Amino acid sequence: MTEIQDATPAVHTDTLPAIELVGLVKSFTSHGEVVQAVKGIDMKIAEGEFFSMLGPSGCGKTTTMRMIAGFDEPTAGEVYLHGGNVVGVPPNKRDVNMVFQSYALFPHMSVAENVAFGLKRKGVAKEEVTRRVGEMLEIVGLTGREKRRPKELSGGQQQRVALARALVNNPRALLLDEPLAALDLKLRQAMQVELKRIQREVGITFVFVTHDQGEALTMSDRIAVMNDGLVDQLGSPREIYEHPASKFVAGFIGTSNLFSGTVSEVVGAEAVISYGPDERLVIQVSTGQVRVGSEIELTVRPEKIVISIEAPHGNGSAVKGTVTEVVYLGTATNYNVKTSTGADVVVFTQNATSAGDIAVRGDSIWLSWEPRHSYVIGA
Amino acid sequence: MNEQIDPALLRGLTQSRYDRRDIVKMFGALGAGAALAACGVTGKKAAPAQQSDVRKYWAGKTKGGHVDFANWPLYMDPKHPELKKFTQQTGISVTYSEVIQDNPSWFAKIQPQLAAGQSINYDLMVVTNGIVFTELVELGFLAPLDHAKLPNFTKNAGVQYKTESYDPGNVYSIPWASGMTGIAYNSKYITTPPTSMADLWNPKYKGKVGMMAEPEELGNFGLIALGVNPETSTPDDWTKAAAKLKSQRDQGLVRKYYDQDYIKALSSGDTWISMAWSGDIFQQNLAEHTQLKFIIPQEGATIWTDNMMIPKTAAHPVDAITLMDFFYDPAIAASLTEYINYVTAVPGAQQVIQSAAAQASGSDKKTLEQVAASSLVFPAAADYAKLKHFPAFKTNQEKQQYLSLIQPITQS
Amino acid sequence: MSARLRARLAPYALLLPGGLWLTIFFVVPLVAMLSLSLQQGDVVSGFSMTWHWQNFTDGISKYHNQIIRSLWYGGLSTVLQIVIGYPVAYWIAFRGGNRKSFFLFLLLLPFFVSFVLRTISWQFFLSDNGILLGPLKNIGLVSEHFHILATPYAVVGGLTYNYLPFMVLPLYVALERVDNRVVEAAHDLYANRVQTFRKVVFPLTLPGVFAGVLISFVPAAADYVNASILGGTQNTMIGNIIQNEYLINQTYPEASALSFTLMAVLLVGIFIYARALGTEEVLEAAAQ
Ligand SMILES: Nc1ncnc2c1ncn2[C@@H]1O[C@H](COP(=O)(O)OP(=O)(O)OP(=O)(O)O)[C@@H](O)[C@H]1O
Ligand SMILES: [Mg+2]
Repeated sequence: MTEIQDATPAVHTDTLPAIELVGLVKSFTSHGEVVQAVKGIDMKIAEGEFFSMLGPSGCGKTTTMRMIAGFDEPTAGEVYLHGGNVVGVPPNKRDVNMVFQSYALFPHMSVAENVAFGLKRKGVAKEEVTRRVGEMLEIVGLTGREKRRPKELSGGQQQRVALARALVNNPRALLLDEPLAALDLKLRQAMQVELKRIQREVGITFVFVTHDQGEALTMSDRIAVMNDGLVDQLGSPREIYEHPASKFVAGFIGTSNLFSGTVSEVVGAEAVISYGPDERLVIQVSTGQVRVGSEIELTVRPEKIVISIEAPHGNGSAVKGTVTEVVYLGTATNYNVKTSTGADVVVFTQNATSAGDIAVRGDSIWLSWEPRHSYVIGA
Repeated sequence: MNEQIDPALLRGLTQSRYDRRDIVKMFGALGAGAALAACGVTGKKAAPAQQSDVRKYWAGKTKGGHVDFANWPLYMDPKHPELKKFTQQTGISVTYSEVIQDNPSWFAKIQPQLAAGQSINYDLMVVTNGIVFTELVELGFLAPLDHAKLPNFTKNAGVQYKTESYDPGNVYSIPWASGMTGIAYNSKYITTPPTSMADLWNPKYKGKVGMMAEPEELGNFGLIALGVNPETSTPDDWTKAAAKLKSQRDQGLVRKYYDQDYIKALSSGDTWISMAWSGDIFQQNLAEHTQLKFIIPQEGATIWTDNMMIPKTAAHPVDAITLMDFFYDPAIAASLTEYINYVTAVPGAQQVIQSAAAQASGSDKKTLEQVAASSLVFPAAADYAKLKHFPAFKTNQEKQQYLSLIQPITQS
Repeated sequence: MSARLRARLAPYALLLPGGLWLTIFFVVPLVAMLSLSLQQGDVVSGFSMTWHWQNFTDGISKYHNQIIRSLWYGGLSTVLQIVIGYPVAYWIAFRGGNRKSFFLFLLLLPFFVSFVLRTISWQFFLSDNGILLGPLKNIGLVSEHFHILATPYAVVGGLTYNYLPFMVLPLYVALERVDNRVVEAAHDLYANRVQTFRKVVFPLTLPGVFAGVLISFVPAAADYVNASILGGTQNTMIGNIIQNEYLINQTYPEASALSFTLMAVLLVGIFIYARALGTEEVLEAAAQ
């Protein structure tokens, strides 16, 4: 599973943000129909931050990125780079560089020429270009391949050329549009580590676009979860994973179990939904968040749920159910359970301690979890 | 277009004789040459035909009831009224094909079969006097004509058509139609009518003189300008003519050496004075109301003739010769001339057209009168006296020598 | 036949249809032409093989001016085609939007008319007192004696016009294939429009330029229609000479020898050109 970043990023939020988007909107007209790709985005990305934009295909990630880079002009709203409004400034005059989804390397140039391209355009002296290209190729581990053409490189190597080509210019921010999407899983994981290392080394702001939630969770300081042209939630990986602000975020990030019901009792910081004498859901709430009689939805992560044959003790949530499927995954086992209330629930159990399966298909079991592990969505 | 002109007539008028040759030449030239080259060319020179050859050829030949006729496009009313009449009268059916686009490529097409003694599937064809015609004769590809089978021709053909130097005594051919090559000018730009070959060398018309690219035509004018009759010219004369033509070019007098497009250049004012074919001028004025004038210069002009002939390997020579003679009926000749507007070899046709005009009314009448009165269709005796024939090369070396003198002028 | 033998012959059997086609339509005519080019004689007495290499040397010494002129006109028109055709192809490829096919169709529209008629229409258009020069002369912008027809300019112009699609189409295909993201990458890496064009777009379309030059230069240099319709007294190209040798003079061996000479000259030219441009680079880029 994914290693989740700590909630507090090493970011100086008091200084000027590296990138600031204000009320950003972009619509396209295609075939006489107006498509709103980005519907109003506000966000601040801090200097030196590893910032991810995460969302399903077509949610507007690339479009947002292109407006930051300057390839598309916003229909409405502003883009600030280091405090300066850059709307109307062409891409070659913006001090950000982009790593393209498909790398977009110059096929007719060698690796070294590709990497040197930006520096030459900026009029950097020849020796300096050579030196910096050499250094950068060393950072990305491509020393010795300077003379190769892009198509003579593997996918991962091409990816690193693309990265080097952008990074060598020392931009104030680097925009990466799904840079790892074309790589196979192994290489992708290796590159994730690599990217993170490089970012730490050069200390440049990275804006990283992905639709792979695992990737976003592992690498980012903060994540903006986008859906349908809007930012649904912006926060640290832990916040987003554990406190999804919407049903969409909950569903999109990892696996979530959804319950709904009417609040029958509120005691201090806990709300209770009662299904019967022993079955109930207990949810941690903040004061005034819910009232008795509110219809609410809540989520529980699968790894927080405990399966037991006997009725659980304690005053947490407890629900009865029947096992419909058992999937053995090596380090863990997945149980699909249909609860007495009719909900389909996934439970994720580490195999560290148990010698055999707790239950088999068709078994009647109890599900239980602590109040702090369930969250009310969207309230 | 002029509504007063009979549309049937116009069809024949709007396209000049040379047009159809050259457009096709542009497309078909190299293909034909390559086809020929691929087949290989072998030749065998034949002895001139004797009276005994005529008897030998026609002995045992009988009417077959059919003729395959190969001619140039737009050389007959597309409804073929004359052929219908022929079939009515003789019971001989005619397949008429407009398959000849220019002489050399026609030669290239039929040469392999003729050399192999095979039929070319045509019994009658029309070829211009000149190099290709001479080659057909020399190679013995043509049937000697039996004049006993040509009573109309004997009776009605103009005398000058019976003594053509390219085929004296009409051993192999009789004319289909003739035309003159003279000088035409655009009266919009030239007000004093030119009268002489010297006008083509007049510095007043610098850059506005149109000459023809066809080496025989061009050489003829050089020769006539020097007072030499092309028909009897010698290699010495050719050298002098070439020099005269070259100086004309080098002084910048010549706009261009034209193929079919001289007529357009003359009409549009790109050239003011030009070598020209009689029929073209007549047709151009009719069709586009241009003010072009055709003159036969005082030194003379040339006449060329498209001739009917029978390939030796023809399947139906008797039917073919019958048809040839049929065209020499003055009424038929007149009917053909009304459509094609070139010089007919049957002087009697003029009278037929005149009386037709007398009976016609309206626009028909006017057109017929114009045709009957045109000295370009029916040249006067004085005009004929000035018309000269193309050189008749005795050998291929002579021809090549001629070409090597004249062609460098146009091909630099 | 043993199965093994059959298996060994199979690849050759597969070659047969293509090989036959090539033999019939290419090798046989070529060999026949080559053989003819070494023969002597005339139509009347026939031609016979005498290994008359002089056909070649005579042709070159007689017509080297026209050969050089043809290369010169062809080359000049090819350069003009690039100069005119590149912006056109560029505009259609990058600015054509969803009307690209329409613009291409517009570009090709005149070429549905026959080559000769199209050229003749230029004759009409450029006529001394025609619809272009007439008004200019009337208002005194050009002198009374000014003319375009019957000049080298008219011939080169005609060649340029007639072979332009042969240039534009490969250029268009090459430009179409330029990945817009690569162009954006160049912009992103601080290249302005001119630099992006020079360093990225143009190099990437070199295969198209190469193809365009090949397929328009060769026919332009061998053309005979433009010179005969638009040219004057001293603009004869080698194509006209060959045409005349075949049709008027019927000197087939000389004509064949000249055709081969022209072919050889063009092949050598192409070879040098490919070398200069670096075929490998071009082929490599084309392969992408
Ligand atoms: N040039 C354009 N014209 C019209 N619509 C466009 C254009 N570019 C993007 N869109 C639309 O805008 C929406 C957002 O596209 P965008 O490329 O930003 O998605 P994305 O989040 O990057 O998706 P993916 O993960 O698949 O790359 C899509 O619905 C897309 O169809
Ligand atoms: Mg995208």
